[in-house]
Amino acid sequence: MSEQFPEFFVRLDTFSSAVWYRNKAARYRLEGTRCTACGATFFPPRTGLICPHCHARAMEPYECPPTGEIVARTLDEMFPAHGYGDYLPRIMVIVRLDDGTHVMSEVMDVADPAEVQVGARVRMVLRKHRREDTGAWVYGPRFVLEA
Amino acid sequence: MGKITRKVMMIGGAITPPNVPMEWTWRQLATEVFWNALQEAGVAIKDVDLVTCAYNDRTIVDSSIGPQVADALGIVPKPVMVTASACAGNGIASYVAWNAIASGRCDVVVSLGFARSDNYDAMEAMNSQGNYVDFDYLLGLTHINYGGIRDDYYKRKYGATIEDAARWVYQCHWYARRNPLAAAYGKPMPVFEELAADTPEADRDRQATNRGGVASCMIFVGEDVAARYTDRPAVFNVAYAYRPPYVGNFFHYPVPGLADYDMAELSGLMVAAREAYGLAGITPEQIDVVQVHDLTAFEGFMAIEALGICPVGQGKDYVAAGGMTLESRCPVNTYGGGPAFGHGSVGCDFQAGLLENFWQLRGQCGERQVGGEPRLGVNSSYGTHHSLDAVGVLQRAW
Repeated sequence: MSEQFPEFFVRLDTFSSAVWYRNKAARYRLEGTRCTACGATFFPPRTGLICPHCHARAMEPYECPPTGEIVARTLDEMFPAHGYGDYLPRIMVIVRLDDGTHVMSEVMDVADPAEVQVGARVRMVLRKHRREDTGAWVYGPRFVLEA
Repeated sequence: MGKITRKVMMIGGAITPPNVPMEWTWRQLATEVFWNALQEAGVAIKDVDLVTCAYNDRTIVDSSIGPQVADALGIVPKPVMVTASACAGNGIASYVAWNAIASGRCDVVVSLGFARSDNYDAMEAMNSQGNYVDFDYLLGLTHINYGGIRDDYYKRKYGATIEDAARWVYQCHWYARRNPLAAAYGKPMPVFEELAADTPEADRDRQATNRGGVASCMIFVGEDVAARYTDRPAVFNVAYAYRPPYVGNFFHYPVPGLADYDMAELSGLMVAAREAYGLAGITPEQIDVVQVHDLTAFEGFMAIEALGICPVGQGKDYVAAGGMTLESRCPVNTYGGGPAFGHGSVGCDFQAGLLENFWQLRGQCGERQVGGEPRLGVNSSYGTHHSLDAVGVLQRAW
């Protein structure tokens, strides 16, 4: 948020408490799934879905490691109206977690975006993100540079 | 693959020019191209067996849209098969049209797409398209962010530069100045050095132009029917393929065809191209002209690599050696591409390339005409963030 745009004023799709409730394990601790038949791991979770590798339908919860390495980055300076006015430019990244899973996310708590480069080690943190339709705050996964 | 009973021919098509009137509804957009295409090809409305139609379900919120399209086009009670598959939606609508004709069920099918992007009530709503909503979009990560990250990754992996990108965009503008249907037609050419600058403004200029409201359509018929309408039909083949919807899963997804690649290659497009080329019985070396759907130049490099026009990772080299130009063995983006023809989602992103190839095969492209009487054109389009890719192949049948 920012002084200019203190709250989101744009319409968001699928913005309900039910969605946030269903994906809370993945948001809070990067919980994906593992196929018990072939061992393939996935994020986002494929709970109840079919494994694209072996075609079994036997997924179990699997917690991805919270640390990894940046493999791609870009700066997003375009959308203050989306509610990120205080955080521009946003540092958008792909992180390869230590088990080889890739996630798209954002690096926070950096004074100078130049500090965030490909190859840097990062660690997942939870950050206040936006309000759900009940008014409660939603928290989501972000990354910070490892000390 | 099931049994194919006959070839599918393209006999005509139409697209709206840039800057259509603000007053036009999506119904008018759709009707404009349907009417113009049928008039030019000499096809009576009563002869149309089926319309396949791509639309964007976030901008056209009317539900049960098929009857509304059929009513607008005056074909009721005949059916409209509606698809909603993001920007490549008309590639999928054309796939449906192809199936209807190749199976023998229909003789004449019109594949239509339209977009009225100013129907969006918020930029953010547009950005949600194509994302794995729960885990990126709702967490503030848009498919525009994906595009920036992907370009960064491609540049690092294959050593491409901003200057390479500027070269692609400049050539698109050169063609667009010779295409009255292009958004950039009639405007001054950009200055190459300014396009190649490392500034936010130049970065914006290297990306696609939005056409706003746009519609286009193609007319497909069975090979035994084509002679009723023209002595210059073109054989049409099409295929499409998926990658997983979550960006992180572009890295070595554990299925054949995708596992060897990551974010820097369009592996879904490779799969689709293999199938389309197989249907047409061609190899990439035979292709005379290519049109790709490119929102950034790096995406364009990735597309011509996936289509087999040059080896993977060498798109920039193909372009630097003059591969896009009319002097090349296989010119690229003679329609003007995303940067200069303009991006129009389901309204033109697949159709613009296919129509351009149709007109190229017929020798109707004026100053941007490919020499040597081209016989084979290929076009590609994608939806979401390259989670689905469509490939069209058009060959002279005369």
